[in-house]
Amino acid sequence: MPIVKSERWPVRSGEDIVRVRQIVRRWAVELGFGLVDQTKIVTAASEIARNTVDYGGGGEVLVESLSENARRGLRLVFEDKGPGIQNIDEALKDGFTTSRGLGLGLGGARRLASEFSVESRPGEGTRVSLTRWK
Amino acid sequence: MERIPILKMGEFLLVTIQVDMHDRLALTLQDDLTEMIVKNRAHGVLIDISALEVVDSFIGRMLGNIASVSRVLDAATVVVGMQPAVAITLVELGLSLPGVRTALNVEKGMELLRVSLAAPNGHADRQK
Amino acid sequence: MENLLQKIVQTGAGIAIVDITGVPTVDTLVAQHLLKTVAAARLMGADCIISGIGPQIAQTIVHLGVDLGSVITRASLADAFVVALQRTGATINKGH
Repeated sequence: MPIVKSERWPVRSGEDIVRVRQIVRRWAVELGFGLVDQTKIVTAASEIARNTVDYGGGGEVLVESLSENARRGLRLVFEDKGPGIQNIDEALKDGFTTSRGLGLGLGGARRLASEFSVESRPGEGTRVSLTRWK
Repeated sequence: MERIPILKMGEFLLVTIQVDMHDRLALTLQDDLTEMIVKNRAHGVLIDISALEVVDSFIGRMLGNIASVSRVLDAATVVVGMQPAVAITLVELGLSLPGVRTALNVEKGMELLRVSLAAPNGHADRQK
Repeated sequence: MENLLQKIVQTGAGIAIVDITGVPTVDTLVAQHLLKTVAAARLMGADCIISGIGPQIAQTIVHLGVDLGSVITRASLADAFVVALQRTGATINKGH
């Protein structure tokens, strides 16, 4: 899958989360995504970025624009070397609670993406990849 | 440190969020609002999010917290101006903002606040 | 969906009536799409009434196990209109 452009950005703080949103927005606009699609991928990025900071001990994101046949896409790969996810299936279930927000929001982010994958092993960090196709 | 301004309008407080907030700013807003509700004995809080292009679960929880804390302090909260793209995304995300009343714009939001003040227990149609 | 929601913002409509009279069948996807539209409108501060539900669709909805929850539905557009008027506190009086 030809990668047209790619950039790596740190995801270690609250400010980084805001910056990731802005970067993803800019890339989505450049790729010609409609407003709703832009909002979906930016929001999904925000969720995963927050997981990376809050649960993963900080990490980074690889932002890539893709070109496959006629379609263009935006792929985000978040990686951290944190404690990892114990039970991915559990985490993918909708876990938003109204109070402390114990759910990882992975399920929600997955619904906002065209393609989504999670790789994680306890003690070995986590890698979440989301792609939105135009 | 930057803060989001809170305006006093009679017995209501009006907050207009116009920046992409980082977490600390959102938490500061919560604290500031809570203090102002008490200090001014406000009975209504109007949060205008018409400029917000992204509402993720953190911001959603913040809005929910503000509504809950305000209720404890006998103030009603109405969130207004949610953009369609944001609403569609929140539905897909599965975030329903329980306990947060919403209205289309500031005018309708104020009306909702007035109505909820008129009813003794603040029970209004729009509670989710 | 976007169009309806944009219109709600533009007109400041508190209630939107989504009439599906012309729709012959509804599958799970369409039903879910309708529900999502209602949910989004509610989040924004408006409400939706779905009208024009024919007998086929009513049966399909039940058969598919789609949970309409608290979404208001009416068979006819006229009935939906009456509900909308009631909710906005308006009435129609017969002229003399």
